[in-house]
Amino acid sequence: MCHEDIFKAFQKNPHAVVEKEKRWRNETHACESCHGAGSKHVESTSAADIRNPAKLPAGEADHNCLSCHLNQPTHVGRIQSGHAKDQVSCVSCHAMHKSAEELVPRRRAVINAKCANCHLSEWASFQKPYKHKLPEGAMSCVDCHNPHGSALPHSIRTVSANEPGCLNCHGDKRGPFVFEHAPVRLEGCTTCHEPHGSANPRMLTRHEVRFVCLECHANTPAMAATSRTLGGVPPAFHDLRAPQFQNCNVCHVKVHGSNVNQELLR
Amino acid sequence: MRAWLLLLAAVPLAAQDTQTPAPAGQDANASPTVAQTEKLLTGSVDVGYRWFSGAGGSLDTYRSVVDFGSGVRLLGLDLSLESAAKKYFDRINVRGAGWGGDPYNTAHVDAVRHDWYNFTFDYRNIAYFNFMPSFADPTIGNGIFLNQQAFDTHRRMMDFELDLRPGKWLVPYLAYSHDSGHGTGITDFVSGVNSYGVADKPRDATENYRGGVRVELNKFHVTLEQGGTTFKDDQQVFTSTQNFGNNTTPFLGQQLFLSDLNQAYGIRGDSIYSKVLLTANPTPWLDVFGEFLYSRPTTTVNYSQLNGGQFLDLTTLLLYTSELDVANAAAKQPHTTGMAGFEIRPMKRLRVIESVMTDRLHNASSASLNQQVLAPAAAALLTDFAERLVLNYNREQVDVLYDLNSRITLRGGYRYEWGDGLTQGALLSGLPSETGQLKRNVGLAGVSYRASQKLSFSVDFEGAGGDRGYFRTSLQNYEKARIQARYQLRQSLQLGARFTVLNNENPDPTVNYNFLSRDNSVSLAWNPNNGKWVTLTGEYTRATLRSDISYIVPQDFTSAQSSYRDNVHEASTLVDLLIPGFGAKGPKLGVGGSLVRTSGSRPTDYYQPTMRLTTPAYKRMSWYGEWRYYGYAEPFYLYEGFRAHLLTLGVRVGL
Repeated sequence: MCHEDIFKAFQKNPHAVVEKEKRWRNETHACESCHGAGSKHVESTSAADIRNPAKLPAGEADHNCLSCHLNQPTHVGRIQSGHAKDQVSCVSCHAMHKSAEELVPRRRAVINAKCANCHLSEWASFQKPYKHKLPEGAMSCVDCHNPHGSALPHSIRTVSANEPGCLNCHGDKRGPFVFEHAPVRLEGCTTCHEPHGSANPRMLTRHEVRFVCLECHANTPAMAATSRTLGGVPPAFHDLRAPQFQNCNVCHVKVHGSNVNQELLR
Repeated sequence: MRAWLLLLAAVPLAAQDTQTPAPAGQDANASPTVAQTEKLLTGSVDVGYRWFSGAGGSLDTYRSVVDFGSGVRLLGLDLSLESAAKKYFDRINVRGAGWGGDPYNTAHVDAVRHDWYNFTFDYRNIAYFNFMPSFADPTIGNGIFLNQQAFDTHRRMMDFELDLRPGKWLVPYLAYSHDSGHGTGITDFVSGVNSYGVADKPRDATENYRGGVRVELNKFHVTLEQGGTTFKDDQQVFTSTQNFGNNTTPFLGQQLFLSDLNQAYGIRGDSIYSKVLLTANPTPWLDVFGEFLYSRPTTTVNYSQLNGGQFLDLTTLLLYTSELDVANAAAKQPHTTGMAGFEIRPMKRLRVIESVMTDRLHNASSASLNQQVLAPAAAALLTDFAERLVLNYNREQVDVLYDLNSRITLRGGYRYEWGDGLTQGALLSGLPSETGQLKRNVGLAGVSYRASQKLSFSVDFEGAGGDRGYFRTSLQNYEKARIQARYQLRQSLQLGARFTVLNNENPDPTVNYNFLSRDNSVSLAWNPNNGKWVTLTGEYTRATLRSDISYIVPQDFTSAQSSYRDNVHEASTLVDLLIPGFGAKGPKLGVGGSLVRTSGSRPTDYYQPTMRLTTPAYKRMSWYGEWRYYGYAEPFYLYEGFRAHLLTLGVRVGL
């Protein structure tokens, strides 16, 4: 046998059922389900005479996999994902011949290492002091992102049908709130937060709270008319020279949305 | 919970005990039963003692960033049990980490029986301690480090999922998730012109139940799911000590203060949701897909507040000493999302992907607030609110991908996003509502080049000329580009590089927003002889961010510029090497760590060097030790720096 090592490893791979079960229509010749007809290759032993998905253009390789796997829920919208448009094919992340764990990694550290292999700067952000606990192994990239694609930008996972995946853990921010803070719904958590890592203790996009708020809340009615953006100006007794007003959420404690107060004070 | 997890962890061990032992006197190696037993249960258990040196500097910051303590820990558990009979299960995997006092406890169990079921269970308990005076300290200007936004809480998450008949054409499934938070903290109570730091006891829980069926046919798939959630939030904010608040200036000759407070949030919520997913490839050259997602969360609120002290009513400028507030409110948020599209392949090399999406969220709420000043007695003030928030978002995108040859793929596309949003008006504007509009035309382009399996690179570009965005900092006129390359120089040496840039501008003279971020990263992986003796991995990232925007200074309505700068150097590396002179199974030394050094608006240094030594002790047992140092410094907030050593000594037992 030429590919004995691959054959042995393949026996522990979920795809081994293709070899054993009639319904996959490649019983006893599972290799051909992905590599195409192999008789010519058997005779010549030349690599040129067999289809190798790892060397195919991503679209073609994916189509090979999706001929069986298209009809599964994880792939709905896959062709909308960043991976698809960047020609990252299935075989870039899934090792087809090896164990179940290598085919679809489940261990968080393994998942994170696989993603970090390409997403270098994102992983670098997780080395900052305030971040989600990925390097500690308490979370993995796929807790928040669906690498196969999503209806939301950046392949963010959805929960409860169409709510952003952030709410899977931060259920207290789900609402609906009686008094909503519009950016949470209109542009999502990343309007104010840097989810991968930040030097700010609450993972904010700016170094001080007031600047996060004032960059949007700087519209007088006249200005809003010309810039056509949302975000009214705060009351004038907010004297920013007083430390009391430099951290807006000292008073606006329910900044994600309030059920009691229109000004998000309680 | 822990007892239950121990029980789960014991399942493989119990299963192992049921294997027939080799008869006495018989060569164990010759017994197929025993040989099989050794193969059926695999994995490892890591147990050790961690020693924490204590934090030099701020212990609060150490707890906010790291939070590891001393003690015996179950550092890792990874077991896999294969069933020889495959009667009730084919395989059970059990994993766990961080038990015994660590801030992150995780557990995972999955079990599979081919064609019967697929079961997974995940548990996480994550501690959130955050006590940073620099984040929210209104007294910091006076040199008092008193945090008024601090939390010492835990979030617990559990997920159960059971797929029945996986691999068949009809797959029913059931799932349950639990997410809860509890703990203590400090928050602010706001009254009139003053705010008071008070005790906070947040407690919330969300339960999510769902079930559905997947129909998986050769050319057609549909998933139908129905689910529901329940939510409760019983936060309590209270104090019984006199507190003069953040504004200690007397008002009309009177000192404002809070002497007692009891705020009780009784919030209940529920939701139903539905999900329909569809994919089909009716012909070899056509795929179609669609999603319909609907949720309708609702909230009901029963809030009460009783506070005593000396307060000011801002509208009447009268002082009062006692107040009772009661609020009843409700909110409903129907949310509908639909997406449909197709991929068509008119030629072997050409793919055209078209999709349309719409997302409509309408929040309607009403509230009734009864404010009763008790002393001096006054008439109750009844206020009714009716609020709305509306989001209508639409997106249409077309992508064309063309394989120029087997190595080069070109991509071009166009995306149009439009929508509108409505929210409550600014309090001083006098407007009942504000409306915003979104219109964005985005051009897409890219090229992927695979010179060989060893060398590939891709370029991705996105540029938009939007004329309307919801917020002043929204993407408006922007260009986003990314270049990524990978090169396998030798069998044992792989190099990678990634460059990204985002430039966003809003030229409106009242906004004048300029944003530019760059991320440049390089990586290296070297493992000669398949990593037999030494492996080296490393990456370095240089990231810069520049943001300038005009804003209105609230106290005098003058225009000012907010500038934010962040210049980051980040590097991490790990070298694993076999110590020479002990053979291929000798002790292994790992040295590495990470460093982050930022300058700009909030300079920060964060170092995490580490060293670990693993020494084989006996067959499948090895000793290991790890030393890790944490060094954190913030030049603008020196009092928040810390230094700490962690030393872990443990044993790994392989099965």
